[in-house]
Amino acid sequence: MSAANASIRDALYEAPGKRAKQRIAIATAVSVAALAALLALIIRQFYISGQLNAKYWTLFTRYTTWRFIGQGLLMTVKVALTAAVITFGLGFVLMRGRLNPHRFVSGASAALIEFSRGVPTLLFIYFFFLAAPQFGLKLSSFWRITLPCAISACGVVAEVFRSGVNAVPKGQREAALSLGMSERRTFYRIIFPQAFRYVIPSMIAELVIVLKDTTFAYVVNCADLMQNAKVLISNYDALVSIYLVVAVIYILINYALNKASDLLARRPNRRNIAA
Amino acid sequence: MSEEKAPQIPVIELRHVDKHYGALHVLKDISLSVEKGEVVVIIGPSGSGKSTLCRTVNRLESIDSGEILIEGARLPEEGKKLAQLRSRIGMVFQSFNLFAHMTILDNMMVAPVDVLHRPKKEAREEAMRLLERVGVADQAGKVPAQLSGGQQQRAAIARALAMHPKAMLFDEPTSALDPEMIGEVLNVMTELAGEGMTMLIVTHEMNFARRVADRVVFMDGGAIVEENTPEEFFAHPRTQRARDFLNSLQDK
Repeated sequence: MSAANASIRDALYEAPGKRAKQRIAIATAVSVAALAALLALIIRQFYISGQLNAKYWTLFTRYTTWRFIGQGLLMTVKVALTAAVITFGLGFVLMRGRLNPHRFVSGASAALIEFSRGVPTLLFIYFFFLAAPQFGLKLSSFWRITLPCAISACGVVAEVFRSGVNAVPKGQREAALSLGMSERRTFYRIIFPQAFRYVIPSMIAELVIVLKDTTFAYVVNCADLMQNAKVLISNYDALVSIYLVVAVIYILINYALNKASDLLARRPNRRNIAA
Repeated sequence: MSEEKAPQIPVIELRHVDKHYGALHVLKDISLSVEKGEVVVIIGPSGSGKSTLCRTVNRLESIDSGEILIEGARLPEEGKKLAQLRSRIGMVFQSFNLFAHMTILDNMMVAPVDVLHRPKKEAREEAMRLLERVGVADQAGKVPAQLSGGQQQRAAIARALAMHPKAMLFDEPTSALDPEMIGEVLNVMTELAGEGMTMLIVTHEMNFARRVADRVVFMDGGAIVEENTPEEFFAHPRTQRARDFLNSLQDK
């Protein structure tokens, strides 16, 4: 996935011999055939159950369908990006707290991190949807999905940041201190920029999870991609075809994110070979 | 306190310094002083506490008891004052510790600009002058990983010099280098010594110690066992432990 993994793979790679090549060729042929058979089976099953019927697919020729999907997609992206910004902010603060030398601060941060990681996203959503209004906290449906998504992810983000900080060689901190830099400046100028580069792939992976969590938006009636898909389904009575198209859209977004993480991770890794 | 009335105050002075790592007594009643312009070389077998001693001087290691004085003033324990003091004592590490995410030039400029608040232009000019001096000016735009170990260590020395330190600490500066690169780093250090820099050096390079040191300190088991001029120490070591150590080196 990332450049680091690639290098481990390269290190363990052994060029296959004659017989191994043969075996690989056979295995490839068998799995391609199996996949083709599976696909044929699915299409056949679709055909038998009438899912290939034109009435399930003609809706995609209409401009309004795509506009509706587009509006949902826009909302999904807005929720995911806002949640990502908030979760990275919260995660950063929790990480700073966790690494604080004062036992109370680091203990409290650890507890919050465990809380965030341990509670399912849906429970946070129910809290903001059902419980919070009773205490007078009435949020728009946008925030009712965005905040729980952010809170649910921030614990993991904090721990990922912390692992990055711990991965920066100790000598970097010592060198900065020996030049008269304060602990604070050392952290922001020297440690964190390096830590951040280490954790870019994990951060993107977390972003994918946030994006998938936003599909809970239907619970709070926020018109995201998932919610709009449901509306389309009830209008056109076309469950399978619409879910299929929506799934492909989610896959494309997450695939693009993973590609971006590969690109981002490759650059700094090449630089930081020897510290 | 009587020493402070002496005409010259030592730049670095340790008085009865003790340090433990758990049950391990790593520094035993260490007293040592380095005068202005003096080059003191600490040698000894690995695990003798010489690196730890070097690192206590700018408090990268804390001490349990005793006193460390820099130009007669007690080493502050924390905060701004400690940072200020560290900025005036250069330190060179075994593993170079150049900032991996910055170019060599940025490595040189970050502390002068951030800590001493020098104007950027001035800091850049001085950085280039120093890099020129240690012979890596042509590498200024590269990141550390693109340089050889010897080049990295010379740049690290230049980075410390950019702070205009009144003393320099060297913690085994050539131990992580390939043999053919040791010479270029030692040459830079010899030059520095010749210019009158106050230096405390932990090293395994005996020929360098013989040539450059004003005084050799031999440590073993966390204590200073012998302290002498290099001529005397290498020709007539007084203790059995020093003789054993020097013999073990000759076997190699």
